[in-house]
Amino acid sequence: MDSSHSTKESGDIPIPVTNPKSSKAAPPPVVAATTKKTAKHPLVSRWKRGLGIIDFILRICAIAAALAAATAMGTTSQQLPFFTQFFQFKADYNDLPAFTFFVIANAMAGAYLVLSLPFSIVCIVRPHILGARLMLLVFDTIAVPLVTAAASAAASIVYLAHNGNSDANWVAICRQFNDFCQRVSGAVVASFITALVFIVLVAVSAVALRRK
Amino acid sequence: MKPSALQLGVAPPANRGIAILDFFLRLIAIVGTLASAIAMATTNQTLPFFSQFVRFRAKFNDLPSFTFFVVASSIVSAYLILSLAISILHIVKANAVNTRVLLLLLDTAAMCLLMAGSAAATAIVQLAHKGINKVNWFSICQQYNDFCKRVSGSLIGSYAGVVVLILLILLSGVALSRR
Repeated sequence: MDSSHSTKESGDIPIPVTNPKSSKAAPPPVVAATTKKTAKHPLVSRWKRGLGIIDFILRICAIAAALAAATAMGTTSQQLPFFTQFFQFKADYNDLPAFTFFVIANAMAGAYLVLSLPFSIVCIVRPHILGARLMLLVFDTIAVPLVTAAASAAASIVYLAHNGNSDANWVAICRQFNDFCQRVSGAVVASFITALVFIVLVAVSAVALRRK
Repeated sequence: MKPSALQLGVAPPANRGIAILDFFLRLIAIVGTLASAIAMATTNQTLPFFSQFVRFRAKFNDLPSFTFFVVASSIVSAYLILSLAISILHIVKANAVNTRVLLLLLDTAAMCLLMAGSAAATAIVQLAHKGINKVNWFSICQQYNDFCKRVSGSLIGSYAGVVVLILLILLSGVALSRR
């Protein structure tokens, strides 16, 4: 377009230069370098960054859900106001091993999520780094069965506590320990929500891993 | 600039090896989950004494967690058999990206379902072995010994299936990131 303009950088907008070389010394190369980088991958960085932001927000929600489940289960203790000589009418989460595992597993999941927040921020700020994304995928894939196992083991004990089982002679205890049962059921629901959020996090990482 | 493999339209050679490994791992997972579903579904133990009011027979139907386990294992083994087709497609066409993402998502859902079933059954098996005396739930394994042994053995196959599914997910993730 202009014979006096040198076309060394290809992403440049040709600016008509009337003065000789002294006016085009420093500014044009800097502008050209940044426009060249984003001109090649504008859409890719943008959607990967968007996925990273979704990932970060979901991680914060999962932290809240996992810690809520662990504390709701860990602070249950109900004592009935009557007692006999042989039978103790106190229900703790310690009495049932499935509930102990539930508290430990949800606490571990919450701790892992807090530790993985910096990696999530790295994936937002630098979306082309695949190593951080792959590491998040690996650890999220390990966390999904852990949280699912804890939630579903506790759910099966809670189901038994609500309904009992006449074939095995296991009496439903929820009629007596009503508060305990309600709190524990709420904790199980929160843990299932955590597991669901983890699955969505795995899906986000898988989609964001694709190089385009 | 040096042309990358993506620009030439050819997958890196390791992706085909990953797809073959994926296929064999899927076969192992099918065997594990199918065996555990069948072992749990064919449990039936009758004690040699009876009374007029109480029935002394144990089947997987009697406990809802075991029913859920059998259903979940069967669904996951049916899914794994059907996903062999997608796995063969990945061996043949090693640079397919969208089907790999789809396979990863479906594998995650299947692993979650299988783990849920296994954990529910494990909780009941642990209860049947030890019992919880504080809430008057006594252990039933001393009477129904064969039933307990068979149920515990079938859980091993399904946990092996879960481990193999985790490996499959990680393989798909690695194959997606190699370009």
